[in-house]
Amino acid sequence: MAWFAKRLLGILLVLLEIMFLIFIMLRVIPGDPASVLLNEHVSPAAIEKLTVSMGLDKSLSEQFIDYLKDALRGDFGLSYYLHKNVGELIYEAFPYTARLACMAAVFAWSFGIVSGIVSVMYHDRILDYLFRGLSLLGISVPIFMVAMFLQYLIYYRLGMLPLNFNGSFVSLLLPAVALGWDSAGSVARITRSQLMEQMGEPYIDTAKAKGLYFSRAVLRHALRNAILPVITVMALQLSGMLSGAVITESIFGVPGIGRLALTAIQTRDMPLLQGTVLFSAFLIAVGNLLADLINSILDPRRGLK
Amino acid sequence: MNNIKSLIKNRSVFIPAAIIIFIVLLAIIAPFVTGYDETGQNLLSRLMPPGNGHIFGTDELGRDVFTRMLYGTRVSLSIALIPTLAALAAGTLLGIIAAYFGGWQDFLIMRMADIMLSIPGMLLAMVVLYTFGGSLLSVYIAIVLIEWGSIARVVNETSSVILENDYVLAAKSMGVRGVMIVLRHILPNLVPTLIVLFTINIPSSILSESALSFLGIGIQPPKVSLGLMAGASKEFLFQMPWLSLAPAGMIMLLSLSFNFLGDALRELLDPKRREV
Amino acid sequence: MRKRCLAFILVTLLLTMGIAGCGSSSEDEKNSANDGNTTVTADEDKTLRLAIGSDIVSMDAHRTTNDYLVPMNVFDTLFSIIKDENGNTEIVNSLVDSYEISEDGLKYDFRLKDGIVFSDGTPLKASDVKFTFERILTLPESAQTDFVIAIDGARELLDGKAEELTGVTVADDLNFTITLAEPFAGFLSQLAAPSTVIYSEKLVTEAGDDFGNVPEKTIGTGPYIVKEWNRGSGLVFEVNPLYWEQEPSAKRVEVSVMESQAMNMAFQKGDIDIIDCLRLDSAVVDSTYKTEAYKDRLVSVDRVGLNYFTLNEKIEPLNNVKVRHAIQLAIDRESILNSIYGGDGKLEDGIYPSGCIGYSDENQGWLKYDPEAAKDLLKKAGYADGFDMEIAVDSSANGAVNSTVEIIAQNLSDIAIKADIKTMDHASWLDLRNSGDMPSFMALWLLDINDPDNIVYTFFGSRENTVIRSNNYPDSEVISRVAAARAIVDEEERMEEYAALEKKLVEEDAVWVPMFSLKHLYVKGERVESFTPHWAGWSDVYFTGVTLK
Repeated sequence: MAWFAKRLLGILLVLLEIMFLIFIMLRVIPGDPASVLLNEHVSPAAIEKLTVSMGLDKSLSEQFIDYLKDALRGDFGLSYYLHKNVGELIYEAFPYTARLACMAAVFAWSFGIVSGIVSVMYHDRILDYLFRGLSLLGISVPIFMVAMFLQYLIYYRLGMLPLNFNGSFVSLLLPAVALGWDSAGSVARITRSQLMEQMGEPYIDTAKAKGLYFSRAVLRHALRNAILPVITVMALQLSGMLSGAVITESIFGVPGIGRLALTAIQTRDMPLLQGTVLFSAFLIAVGNLLADLINSILDPRRGLK
Repeated sequence: MNNIKSLIKNRSVFIPAAIIIFIVLLAIIAPFVTGYDETGQNLLSRLMPPGNGHIFGTDELGRDVFTRMLYGTRVSLSIALIPTLAALAAGTLLGIIAAYFGGWQDFLIMRMADIMLSIPGMLLAMVVLYTFGGSLLSVYIAIVLIEWGSIARVVNETSSVILENDYVLAAKSMGVRGVMIVLRHILPNLVPTLIVLFTINIPSSILSESALSFLGIGIQPPKVSLGLMAGASKEFLFQMPWLSLAPAGMIMLLSLSFNFLGDALRELLDPKRREV
Repeated sequence: MRKRCLAFILVTLLLTMGIAGCGSSSEDEKNSANDGNTTVTADEDKTLRLAIGSDIVSMDAHRTTNDYLVPMNVFDTLFSIIKDENGNTEIVNSLVDSYEISEDGLKYDFRLKDGIVFSDGTPLKASDVKFTFERILTLPESAQTDFVIAIDGARELLDGKAEELTGVTVADDLNFTITLAEPFAGFLSQLAAPSTVIYSEKLVTEAGDDFGNVPEKTIGTGPYIVKEWNRGSGLVFEVNPLYWEQEPSAKRVEVSVMESQAMNMAFQKGDIDIIDCLRLDSAVVDSTYKTEAYKDRLVSVDRVGLNYFTLNEKIEPLNNVKVRHAIQLAIDRESILNSIYGGDGKLEDGIYPSGCIGYSDENQGWLKYDPEAAKDLLKKAGYADGFDMEIAVDSSANGAVNSTVEIIAQNLSDIAIKADIKTMDHASWLDLRNSGDMPSFMALWLLDINDPDNIVYTFFGSRENTVIRSNNYPDSEVISRVAAARAIVDEEERMEEYAALEKKLVEEDAVWVPMFSLKHLYVKGERVESFTPHWAGWSDVYFTGVTLK
């Protein structure tokens, strides 16, 4: 319990520090949000009026204290550009990202673990090389290429799935594969390397000597011992995908968190960017916490650090 | 010497290394390989298919795609080396300082690393690029900021373990200077870890740059980079596929080779495997 | 140990499904509703599917200068503009039933059409007009103040020195009078621009911050209502059953946000009905759509807008008129037009683009590409060896602008001027331009209203405007002439003055390099019978201009 409280406190502290850091970084950059809002139809008077109404005429420290006070009450400010409460925007966008990330994770994990196992079972044979090649390709190809290739092949050539996200389940399949692609590669690689290590252990030989089939030996004994680092990686991946699907979301038009962050950056929308970065950091922190918890449950010897 | 010989004999090291060296050489002698200028426009020959003196055709301004790909490769290679090495140096230095001194230095440095690691890499890079504007230097900075934290953490953990070794404690008590302890005991033991980290980070740096430039917030035209070329050609994806295939293929080839090389080196250097 | 492990994996899996389920439950309902609709084939047949390049920011016309999709289709203006076969525009009544203008050109008496209601049944009243114009002036983030600033008392209300807009007086539910501060011939055109669509005082006040944000709360008198707005992904419109005019052909309109290559694919697969060729590179348009197969499906409209290349007179040596003339001569506009824009447009030599009232043939045709003459001029100006300058590019601008600027840089290097292209993000670009320090840039001004004042005043109407547009034109006498021209009551005299100003500014003082005006091409899909784009060639379209087969 004490461990848990300490970790929560740590998360809170990191979030506070990020808030401060991002605040400073974003406030010193060029690019007046007021002029972005007014775009082509500008006049100095209009800019000044808008600047005052956004509270940007106050000093930096005042602005930060204001922001902090509101944030503690759960109010992350009004998006300059979208004229909507940042919390609300994130609340609306997150379900899309969550669905996308979960589907991507299911794809990545099942593909990754299965191909990892197959690789070991057919060690140094054609299938092993095939899956190893695939998983290397997974971590070597930029997401945007995968995404555009999928759109071209599956939508344009084969006409099997919708091009863009339209709210339906099937329209999330392509983005999920694109997003899960590189994670699949790394899960496959870590599964394989962990299993290979286990296969070298004496107990496997014992099992084999006892007449257990090779595949059962692999699955039963080695996988149980190998799965721990794999699960840790997977937990981290999920939180990463939940917070960083910028490219996938923008190519497939998924109205999620990544898209929100990109909009925020393109429009100098400080409250929105701050909100999305904080939210993502929160997810990552929770992911780390989960990974540690999983570790300690699966391997009590290690305990909680 | 023996080590190097065995490295060369090892096919899984040799092949990717040869490919990388070939690409590097090609990028270095780029001006002599092609007769074109990477920014030289020829509006009369826009979007020409491969052939007619243009190996990969021409782009929307009639520039030779092959030439631009070579110059883009220079950028990608510089990104593979400069920020990755800088991050490695910074991460190692800070990680060792934190481990050696402990106390407030440890607290401060590792807190900074924690913060950096808590922001998703892509978002962190986006914030950095918008703070400093899109340019090669900003991409360098972004990549260093993304990568140094995890390096510092690994180095910190590894060197803390080393520092607790009896011989290190003994050396300390005998009054050996800190710098000497670091040079003699910590750094040599870190080398395999550092090489592994380095090979992991190279392809991910290349991919980060291409993603950022693709989104239009990384390297800016008229400068050229592989990601930028792939991004600019997405409009022509299925009418003129050669425009995307050349830069995208190069990104893939580079990161695949580095990944392969990294894998092979890791297998060679991993102390656990060596014992076996 | 094994059991625990298994249990844990199960729990994680369940959790994953749970999150996925949670996220999707509300969505699924929506979709099943959609599915219900799509099974009715009649509805499907009457659905128009369009694509836009980036999502709209607000549905509120007062808070945007870019996104007129919702204002144009969900709201109505007092007047509207139609274009005849000869390309001449005409102002016709929309919400207004009849009107009279006083002899001095200051007082406008309007009568609204009787019986018009908002899509929820709330009747339209004359007081709504006053409310709308006051809101334009008092909303802090209002982007449309220019459109009503001509009204008497508008300046005072904008500056916070007045409580109400004294220039608008409401007689009863249908009749109201607008008084201008000084005569302004372009006023009716302003009332026809989507910037001045009429809101309901009652509905806007009730909706508060939700107005322009929440579809159900964004209610107008126009032909459509917004059904859904999924930020970043698109909008869905349906016809307004209470619309006061003829019901449009498309009963439902789905607008999706897509990247250009996706748009192209979707159009070819028949998943969108109209494609905006401005989103595509001209080479793609040439090879795919300017072909036999698509010949009859191309729809073209002249964009009433000028592409210009600005030279900042604050920056050395651009303050030298000879240098500016040299740059005008050095840029090969015809090659740019032909290569980057597929020849779909015409060269412009002035300020007012083709199709704009006040366009003068006499001010055209004088500017020819002549690098040798340009070199001579540079020599005379004392820059025989050239100089360094910067061209600023907005990184969010489309590929064609980037390519154009790269060609301009090449053209300039031919006369020994080394032009450095500085690409910056949209916000920094605007910031730099508004500060008046941007050395040179290429941009486009699309007319909001068909009046020369709309463009010349924006760039040269006041000292402030010349700074904010980064041209820093120094001649204060000309600047005050531009400002005074809008108040000339005699129309012929006013046009003469505008032509004279154009000659002075572009031909004599070389304030900028006028580039070209472009055609806006669209391709309609097989399901579309006819399509009439916006009169000025905007990318936003009136859905009522589309008839489905």
